[in-house]
Amino acid sequence: MNIQKKIDVGLTIQQSAIKADQAHSLKLSGLSLELGGTPILRDISFALPVHGMNILIGPSGAGKSTLLRCLNLLHQSWQGDLHIMDKDVRTWPDGADALRRAVGLIAQKPSLFPCSIAQNVVFGLGRKARKQVSDEHIEQVLRQAALWGEVKDRLHDKALTLSVGQQQRLCIARALALAPKMLLLDEPTASLDPRSKQCIEASLLELAATMPVLCVTHDIEQAKRLGGQIIFMCDGHLIESGDSVDFFARPERIESREFLRWSVCDCS
Amino acid sequence: MLNLWMRASAWICLAVVILLLGFLVQQSWPYWQQYGFSTLFSGDWYPYEKLFGLTAAIIGSFWAALIALSIAIPTGLAAAVMSTEILSGSWRSLSRTGMELLAGIPSVVYGLLGLWVLLPLLQSSLGLLTGHNLLAAGLLLSVMVLPTIMVMAQDALSEISSEQRDAAASLGMGWSERLWRVLLPQAWPGIRSGILLALGRALGETMAVMLVVGSMDRIPEPFYNLLAPAQTLTSRIGREIGESAFGSMHFAALMACGLLLATVTITISLLAHLRADNTSVART
Repeated sequence: MNIQKKIDVGLTIQQSAIKADQAHSLKLSGLSLELGGTPILRDISFALPVHGMNILIGPSGAGKSTLLRCLNLLHQSWQGDLHIMDKDVRTWPDGADALRRAVGLIAQKPSLFPCSIAQNVVFGLGRKARKQVSDEHIEQVLRQAALWGEVKDRLHDKALTLSVGQQQRLCIARALALAPKMLLLDEPTASLDPRSKQCIEASLLELAATMPVLCVTHDIEQAKRLGGQIIFMCDGHLIESGDSVDFFARPERIESREFLRWSVCDCS
Repeated sequence: MLNLWMRASAWICLAVVILLLGFLVQQSWPYWQQYGFSTLFSGDWYPYEKLFGLTAAIIGSFWAALIALSIAIPTGLAAAVMSTEILSGSWRSLSRTGMELLAGIPSVVYGLLGLWVLLPLLQSSLGLLTGHNLLAAGLLLSVMVLPTIMVMAQDALSEISSEQRDAAASLGMGWSERLWRVLLPQAWPGIRSGILLALGRALGETMAVMLVVGSMDRIPEPFYNLLAPAQTLTSRIGREIGESAFGSMHFAALMACGLLLATVTITISLLAHLRADNTSVART
């Protein structure tokens, strides 16, 4: 199946999924964060459906990446309520580390460990699970990340020999190997070539059919391609959220219109 | 001009090392000619009877360095991990400054502290006739080499990017798992260089060791008896060089000790640099 077809199929599946499910995978209310006395996030509230694509969009400095780090508990000093899969994250069973395994976070810059491709895939698993993991599981997650075809003959090569686009997809596979309930991605295609960008978008759309995916971007064209629910942030505030088609066709708030018009925002 | 001066400085350093080794070979040559390498396996050192066995001093140096490293490696690593991973900015720089100050204290001061504090403590707590022994030398050396290991391990840990730390944390790896599977393996080349440099210093330290080791020219009985007064290569040279006549066989034997020591420490330093270079090439 070519990449464009995959994108179309993924979009259809996830749009129907969003409509079918009214339950929430993530519910955030009144989340605020200050770092070094400076407010970074201010009273953020939104909910994500059980599966489907969700795009967190906004200008640089809006607090998008910081919000993702809060959802993954890499920042823990926030205030407010955060429920994932109807569980309060502050009282998550087995603590923050277990939550991070359940909520995969993929950073903007791929960060692989200096070992082989296969070892990187299973790096996050516990010692026992690493020894017992099957080749089929490694193949499955690499397929999900749209990387299998490119690395199947060199699984034992150093991961750092891969191109940046492949490294990013390997990071996605590494997160998927933990069987997460949700994926958070922080500008996963920033500074990638169009071909790698397309590969990653296709695999994200396929993943969004089975789990909630929250993807940060400030690339409007990419947000349009990925579709789903849009959450627009600016200067630490949540400005507007809703269906992507409506958002791009009829943005309600002036900040959104300004952002879409100029791709810049001056909220002050 | 600056480039020329820098090149000249590098060549001068290399020339000094070669000259030093050449001098040691030349001065110890009569000893090697007369006794050969068989003395490496003889424990008898009686200059007045023309017996110049090196084994006792080699064993002494080995034990002192081993004790020092077996204490300093875990302590230095723990201090480095504590400093880089747990302490906040100001406490981190305070601990770093403390270690750098510790490294700057003259070795004779350590020796005097050993004489006045460590030896009476060992003597009373272990019920010994004298506190002068290999254990005292090893303990004192461990304090002296601790800053080398700690500072180099700290530098190696600090070089690991925050992206790697975040990647490990976002995979749900706990603190100890991150430490053992991500931080220490990636910092290992720097830590290894620190250990090799510390080993070089432990083997080459003279003054402090000479004051506490007991200077007994015989192999401890049994050879692993760390509570026996002993001798190291450096303390033997330091103690006897003033008593030997220039050009005598005693003098040549002490020069042979020096040559042995210089060869081992230069090899260790080269090894440390070589491994560090290989690692940086592998990383790129």
